[in-house]
Amino acid sequence: MPGISFQSLFIFSALFRVFLIIYGEWQDANMEVRYTDIDYFVFSDAATLMASGKSPYERSTYCYSPLIAFLLMPNSFLHQTWGKFLFSASDLLVGLLIHRILKLRGVPEKLCTYSTMVWLFNPFTFTIGTRGNCEPIICSMILWILMCLMNGHVLQAAFWYGLVVHMRIYPIIYALPIVLLLDPQHFQPGKKPVLVEWSSRALKPSSATSSSKTSITQYIWNFCINMITWRRVMFGIISASTFFFLTGLSFHLYGWDFLHEALLYHLTRTDPRHNFSIYFYHIYLHYEHEFSILEKLISFLPQFIVQLVLISRFALDLPFCLFLQTLAFVAFNKVITAQYFVWFFCLLPLILPWSNIKLVWKGLACIILWIGAQTNWLAWAYLLEFRGKNVFFQLWVASLLFLAANTFVIINTICSHLYSPLFQQLKQGGKLKQGYERI
Amino acid sequence: MEARLLLVRINSVLQFVLIFLTIIRSYVHASTTGQAGYVDKYITKTYFEKHDSLIDPEFDNFIANEIPLTLCKVLEDGNCVLPTLSNLHRSVIGEGSHRHLSSSIIFKFQPELKIKLVAHSCEVIMTERLPSGVFADPFELQHLVQRGVFSDAAVFGDTNLELPSFRSNRSVVEIHMSIGSKMLSRHHDKFEINCEVPLHARYPPLGLGFSRVEFGQPDLFMCCSLEVNGFKRSCAYLPTNNISDYKASPLAWEIPCGIREHAGVVSAITYCFALVSALLIVVLSFCYTDNKGSSKPKSL
Repeated sequence: MPGISFQSLFIFSALFRVFLIIYGEWQDANMEVRYTDIDYFVFSDAATLMASGKSPYERSTYCYSPLIAFLLMPNSFLHQTWGKFLFSASDLLVGLLIHRILKLRGVPEKLCTYSTMVWLFNPFTFTIGTRGNCEPIICSMILWILMCLMNGHVLQAAFWYGLVVHMRIYPIIYALPIVLLLDPQHFQPGKKPVLVEWSSRALKPSSATSSSKTSITQYIWNFCINMITWRRVMFGIISASTFFFLTGLSFHLYGWDFLHEALLYHLTRTDPRHNFSIYFYHIYLHYEHEFSILEKLISFLPQFIVQLVLISRFALDLPFCLFLQTLAFVAFNKVITAQYFVWFFCLLPLILPWSNIKLVWKGLACIILWIGAQTNWLAWAYLLEFRGKNVFFQLWVASLLFLAANTFVIINTICSHLYSPLFQQLKQGGKLKQGYERI
Repeated sequence: MEARLLLVRINSVLQFVLIFLTIIRSYVHASTTGQAGYVDKYITKTYFEKHDSLIDPEFDNFIANEIPLTLCKVLEDGNCVLPTLSNLHRSVIGEGSHRHLSSSIIFKFQPELKIKLVAHSCEVIMTERLPSGVFADPFELQHLVQRGVFSDAAVFGDTNLELPSFRSNRSVVEIHMSIGSKMLSRHHDKFEINCEVPLHARYPPLGLGFSRVEFGQPDLFMCCSLEVNGFKRSCAYLPTNNISDYKASPLAWEIPCGIREHAGVVSAITYCFALVSALLIVVLSFCYTDNKGSSKPKSL
């Protein structure tokens, strides 16, 4: 395959997105089925309300941070497509950051470009921004946090982390692996953390990382002793302060409406309407009565166990850990909509250079199974929603198959991955230095 | 002396402020409840200002007694010669959870009324009392208004789009359709209005397969804005209960519902499936670490 320069790829992607935005405006004006996502009208209406001094939560179904409405205020006085251009620019920024992160880790230019193409030319991703969904902003912030950590800018990473958790709750699952990564053996005073090069991935692990195996008990003991370091504490303080400041300010401006819609709604959301989650039919069948504490715990247990194990096993290979966590989080969630897929699509290119998976046939099997399971679900959902057939049971079985496909992808991704910690472990300083690092 | 003068001035100012506030209050009161004899922009809005939810007998009472139906008086038409309902054909069009409630209304009128209807910006207002189990999306209706399908539209009552029917209340859709000269010129003595309201099904209560939702008759009003009254709107009620179409077969929509007998099996398999999938990932994560021979996460 002839080489493609990243610059050409990027320019083409940008022009393609501009075309899609213009086409979307034409389709909205001339066809009954609109190109624009219904959420975009919700954002725009909320932004218009905010611009006229009112609460964005007067717009029903607006369940986001007021920051999103604030960013879209120019929709009302500049042009209604401002938001789409902003989201598409974030989408392109994600592509840029993917490329930059891979370059920092020493991935060859060609592989960087191909990996970035997986994001820039993914139909999910280029339609999501151009249709007016805000997820690309969240994805770009997550990648920016990763870049800050890679460059040793911990405090900056903490600020953006607090901001992104305020805007979307789900990145809270990244807290523990990030904290684990802020280890004194990676971050030492006056020194940037040293990234593990891509070229060392094929070597024995003992070359890329330091020495001997540690028993589980000793590992836990060492972690507990070294857990409280000034970087971890500062990361926690700054990110928590940012989160609580923004949340507090929003609460001060918009009261309980903000708290219910932007925070509590997402934390407690159980939607009985059909969606990709295996829990939808179970929730619908029990919607007439409240779930017991035990039932809620049992539902939460698989998610909790998977997240904990993935973190404990892969935290130091942070991009890989984040990808697995996000994919598992979406797969085991009580509600799954298509826009959630973007959360892990933005992380997929970051792990591809370390994957042994061959496109023919294992890679294709993963793609076909995942898309096939989705298509199967969509077919039954179409029969239910647009043909009025009673196919709840079949749709629920399709959602089980979708979880099975997600599990298959997770398992194959793990099996094919060449574990590569993000940072090298630097040599320990003297005892005094160690003492300085610990509080 | 000076103190007395000051008191008089303060008194005058207070009286002025009081009169000013009274004027403001009466304006606000009038604009929210409608001036006597005239109808606000939306007929249904006044009902929901006084009631929390839609109850049919209360809404009937509201139409009969609380809406100022003064169109005849304002037209100075002692015989009250208004269009009469000749035919009302209703149907639910489409399949699945998103359908259209179609109403085809034919009015008959005396030819001399034609000029008045065009001159006074008259419109037909239809209020649909939606049964529990279906809802209209107010933003979708606004989109139709922007495209010129209706002259105005609004939804009152429970407009939550996400809740199932057993957790939601009923709502009323009010559609305004202007009577244009084109509409009147087609026939000598009648005109036809076609209205398709997009509706969506809520998740119904659990049952045996399908849940039946029945539609009642719409309420129809003729409203005109007369220049002589400063373009305030006057309305008249157009009764529909003499039309036989509805009485023969009530309009119904069958919505698929969850089957109660599935509950046990679905819950058990859902929990087990999630647990097995999670365990597979957990086991493999531990095996991966061992097989690769890579160091476990280093002693931190």
